[in-house]
Order: sequence, then structure tokens, then C-alpha cells
Amino acid sequence: MKVPEKHSWRRLQARLEPGFKRMLLLSVAIHLLLPALYAGLHYFSPPRQKPPVYRVNLVNKPVKNPQAGRPEAGPEKKKTVEKAKPKPVVKPKPAPKPKPKPDVKKVVKPAPKPEPKPVAKPKPAPEPTISNAAEQSLQQKLETLRREQERDDRLAALRENLAREREKIDAPVGEVTGKGDQAGVDEANYVKAFITEQWRYSPYLGNNWNLEAQWLLTYSAEGTLLTYKAISSSGNKAFDDSLLRAILKSKELGQKLEKRTEFEVTFNLRDMQNR
Amino acid sequence: MNIGRNLLLLALALLCSVASAGAVKIEISAPGEQEIPLALTAFLPMGPDRPEIAAELNAVLRADLDLSGLFSLVDRAAFLSDADKLGLNSAQVDFAQWKLLGAEAVIKGGYRIEGGQLIVEARLFDVISRRMLTGRRYIGKPEEARRIAHTFADQVMLSMTGSKGPFSSRIAYVSNRTGKKELYLMEADGHAPIRLTSHRGIVLNPDFSPVGKELIFTSYQQGNPDLYRKEIYTGREARLSHRQGLNIGGRYSPDGREIAVTLSRDKNSELYLLGTDGTIHKRLTDHWGIDVDPSWSPAGDNIAFVSDRRGNPHVYIVDVDSLEVRRLTFDGKYNATPAWSPDGERIAFARMENGVFDIHTIRPDGTDERRLTFGPGNKEHPRWSPDSRFLVYSLDRAGEKAIYLMRADGTGQRRISAPGGDDSHPAWSGYW
Repeated sequence: MKVPEKHSWRRLQARLEPGFKRMLLLSVAIHLLLPALYAGLHYFSPPRQKPPVYRVNLVNKPVKNPQAGRPEAGPEKKKTVEKAKPKPVVKPKPAPKPKPKPDVKKVVKPAPKPEPKPVAKPKPAPEPTISNAAEQSLQQKLETLRREQERDDRLAALRENLAREREKIDAPVGEVTGKGDQAGVDEANYVKAFITEQWRYSPYLGNNWNLEAQWLLTYSAEGTLLTYKAISSSGNKAFDDSLLRAILKSKELGQKLEKRTEFEVTFNLRDMQNR
Repeated sequence: MNIGRNLLLLALALLCSVASAGAVKIEISAPGEQEIPLALTAFLPMGPDRPEIAAELNAVLRADLDLSGLFSLVDRAAFLSDADKLGLNSAQVDFAQWKLLGAEAVIKGGYRIEGGQLIVEARLFDVISRRMLTGRRYIGKPEEARRIAHTFADQVMLSMTGSKGPFSSRIAYVSNRTGKKELYLMEADGHAPIRLTSHRGIVLNPDFSPVGKELIFTSYQQGNPDLYRKEIYTGREARLSHRQGLNIGGRYSPDGREIAVTLSRDKNSELYLLGTDGTIHKRLTDHWGIDVDPSWSPAGDNIAFVSDRRGNPHVYIVDVDSLEVRRLTFDGKYNATPAWSPDGERIAFARMENGVFDIHTIRPDGTDERRLTFGPGNKEHPRWSPDSRFLVYSLDRAGEKAIYLMRADGTGQRRISAPGGDDSHPAWSGYW
């Protein structure tokens, strides 16, 4: 019986590919190794703690100080502290206040005169009846008042800034590049800005944008135009007339100069050409 | 002597250059403001008060000056006592008051009725230089107050810019308010429209003669689109060209001696030059494509027209002498009705984009193309004012075609034709 078994095994081996036995052993080894590795990793790794779970009722949670933690509430911490206090205070109040009531009853009989005093006291009596809702509404009112105050403060600060900016604008300015003199004033820039402001020229006065004229203007140290002379004209009457008007409007600069100064002013429409 | 004089001159020149060399150099490359503040005072009676005349003079002047875009009108509520004084010469005007209000120019005037005639005195003063820029006395019928105001507005433009305004000119257009397309004429601001034809058919494409008060237009009165000429004041009418096929798009040459027109007598639309008697002087184009809508250059040496010779309709320019044709527009699928500005600087045309026509302008060399109109509705048939400052065109919006005006840069768009019909094909007269 054994012989045929051996024989059949050999026959089977002969049918299988060469090296099949080795491959089979390797496969079994790998399959055994993988679970061992997995179990080993689990065994040596530190046990994981389950993260704590917090249940929060966002809708019904009572909020004592809704502004706490918000940036608006930051600068007024003291107030919030004061507000927090009344709550515990409010609760004990009912205890001492009811006391006068029995007193009143007792006192009324022997001496009716003191009646007015206890009558005045009942005013705080409703306090103990303050509900949470009323308290919250009171707090909200306080919050709105606080916000309004903050807004007013901000507005006041803005107004101050604006006033400061206006002062800056009204004052003659130096160059953006910092070329202005010690006082921040560059005379040439001031004169340029002043004359530019006086110059009115409509693009509908003509189609020619390549116009240029030069004028020599002499200003006294007091900022008064002493002489004006055309060095070169554009040849366009409307353009030249507009320049003359601008110069005549610039007779007084409204600011003193360091000394009597001559300005050679070139007028052109370079910045209007791309209309 | 000569050497001595030359030396003296040289020394003087050197002295000047030295004086100038020491000056601080400033460059101002744009004005501070682009409108001239103008005070327009009420016209005051110089006799019996006729407030309706004063109101009309002021209203027309105000509208014209506003359209010009030159001025910002000073608020009347700010006027001081000088506004109530006549002040017809510079010595009588308190310029300090106007300067205080920031005005650089002031218009003052008065009127009176004398012997049934309206006499209007109108003045324009320069507030800064304290001088009168222009002053006119107009005499006309009391019902001509509008015309007088337009004429003075033209005068103000002349004084300020060196070229006359177009406010007293006329605009011809086609309207179907009688049920048929007829030719109409109105003032440049749309007032006083009058019907010129009663062809009871279709009238198209009017154009003013540059020399006389007459128009040419195309009419289907005889069944065929023929070219007609009409004298405006006498009403006399003549058929100028009635060749078989199209006789359309007639445009007078700048000297008024020839007419460029599209004829299709050879079964294909081509451009021709006709004499004012209707005879053919010259054939301008010879191409299988359709050539229409001629428009003369102000020098009379070139004609812009529309052709589909390269597929889509585009604007081309033909040299009248050499007959060389060059293409002007390349963008858009449909370009139509070119109009060369009287100053020769630009050509306006209508271009269809996304199914809507809009007005564009381009330089005759094909550069600097600009779109002037936007928004819904077809804007078509642009034509220039005689001073090239304004464009008139038709706008088809909300189911009604109307005539609109705008400045040459596309600003100040306003409707000028009255409601009550479809108005199209405007043509602006020369100086009237």
C-alpha cells in the first residue's frame, strides 16, 4: 500500500512545477508572519486613551455674561465683575428684606407714624422677584449702553484723526519723496499746486493735446505776483487765454516765500492726452 | 555799427537767459479743473417786461451751454446783487462779486420790444481779466427768441474756443409719425420739427448740401429707390438720379459740386460720382462685393464706404483720384454707415456686436478706435455736427426709434426728437 502512495506522491511531484515545494513553504511562512507582526505591534504600542466627549447644549445653556471673553468686553472687566456680583447679592436680598415687612406689621399697631418709611421701602421689594429673563434683559441693556459708549469713543477718535488730517491737508506739504525742507514745505511744489488749482481748461476747447506754453512768474517774499511774462505761447488762443486766467488768479499765493523767487512754469496737457 | 548792435543784442539775450536760468522750473501737465465756471444771469427787460421771452432766452442758452460740456454753470441761488443789474459793458459789471462766486465767465443780457421787433443785447465777460469777450445785439421777431439764443450760444463757443458752435444749425431725419416714412427738419436741440416731404412711401438717407439750404435723399415715391433733391425754403423738388436699381446713400462732396452715391444699374451695388445734374462723372468702385454708404473726407480726396468684398461688411476708404481702396476696420462682423468728421480727425460708424449696433469712431489711418455708446438698443446712422464736436444718431430702444445727440467722446447723450413715431437716418446741416 505504501509503495503506491510514494509512487503517487512522486507522480504528483513530477506533475507540479519545479520549486513548487519551496514556494509553498515560503507562502505559508509569510502568512504566519503577518498576523504575528500585527499582534506584536499591538502588544508593544502604548494603550490609546479615548478622547473625552463633551455634550454641550448650545440652545438652552444659561449665559450669565454673554459678552465674557469677547474683545468688546476686554477693557471693561471691572464692570463685568461688578455685574457678576449682583447675582449672588440679589438672591440673599430677599432674606433681609422680608424682615422689614413683619416689622412693619408689628410697628404699625403701636406707632402709626413710622408707616411712611416702610411704605417707601417696599420699592426694593420687587427686586427679589427679578427673574433670570429680566436680569438678562438688564444686562443686555447695559451691554448696548456700553457698546454705544465704545462707538462714541471710536467716533470721537476718528473725528480727532480727521481734524488732524485736515490740518495736514490745509498746510503746505513737502514732497512725497521727502525732499521738502525742514518745515515740510517745498516752495516749488506749493506754487505748482496753487497754480494748477487755478487753471481751468476744458477738453472740449479743442482737439489738440500737444499744446505747451512757458511763463516766467516773479513772486515777492510775501507771495505776491510781481511780474508775469510769456516766454513762449502755444499758438492756441483758448489754451493761452486759460493760462493767463490761471496766472491772474494766482496773484496772491496765500503763503510767504523764503525770498523773492522767479518760477519758470511750463504748461501742457500731457496728462490729458489719453482721454 | 552792425557789430556793436549784434554784440548788444547778444549781451541782452545772455542777460535774459541768465535771468531765466536762475528761475525755479515747474511743469504743470494738466489743469486743476476741466470745466469753466460760468454764471448765466437772467436776461433783464430794457423796456416793458416780457418774462416769457427772458425765460426762453435763458432756457435755450442754458441747454446749449450745458451740451457743450465746456462749462459748469454757477448756481443761481448764489448770485449776488450784480446779477440784477443790466451791465452791458465791463465798467458796469462788479467782477469782484463774480470772482467771489468762483465764476470765470459771466453772461449778461437784456431785451426790449421796439416796433414789434425783439431786440436782444447779450454779453460774455471774462471775470478774471475783467473784459468783454463778446457782445452782440440781435434783432428779430419776438417768436425768434430761441433762434437768437442759439446764435448767441454759437458766438460764446466761438469766443471761448475759436470755432463757432453748431446750435443754430438744423438736423434732417426720417420719421414715420404720419404712418409713412417722410423727411423732417428740426433745430439742433430737437425743437420745431417740420415735415418736408409728403411722398407717402419710404424716404431714406438725407444729406445737406454744404453750399445751399437744400437736401438730397432717396425716395420710393415712384416705386424705385431714386435720388431726389429738395430746396428747403422754396420746397422745390427734383429727381436727380432714377437709374434702374438702387440710387441710394447720396452724399455731397465738401465743395458741393459732386455727389457720391450707390447705384446698382449693373446689378451690383457700386459707388459712383454724380454731378449735381445727376450725370455720372466717375465710377469709384468695381468689385463683385456690395459697396454702399459713401462719406467724403473734408478735403474731398477720399471716400469712406462699406463693402463686403472680404466677407463681412467693413469700412474701406477709396482714393477718389487713384481709386485705390484700403481697408479701415477689421473688428466686428458688421460695420456700417461711416461718417467722416468735418475736421477730418475721425470717422464714426456703427458696428454690430452681440446683435446690437453701437457707435464707434476711428482715425482715418485705422488707429485709436473707440466705442462711444453702450447699453441696449441699436445705435445707428451717426453723423457729425459741423464743428465736429457732437454726433447725432438714431437709437432703437423700448420699441421706438428716436434721434439722440452726444458729444464726440460719447458723453452727454440725450434724446432730442419728440416721442410719437420712429425717427431715424439723421443728417446734420452745415452752419445755418
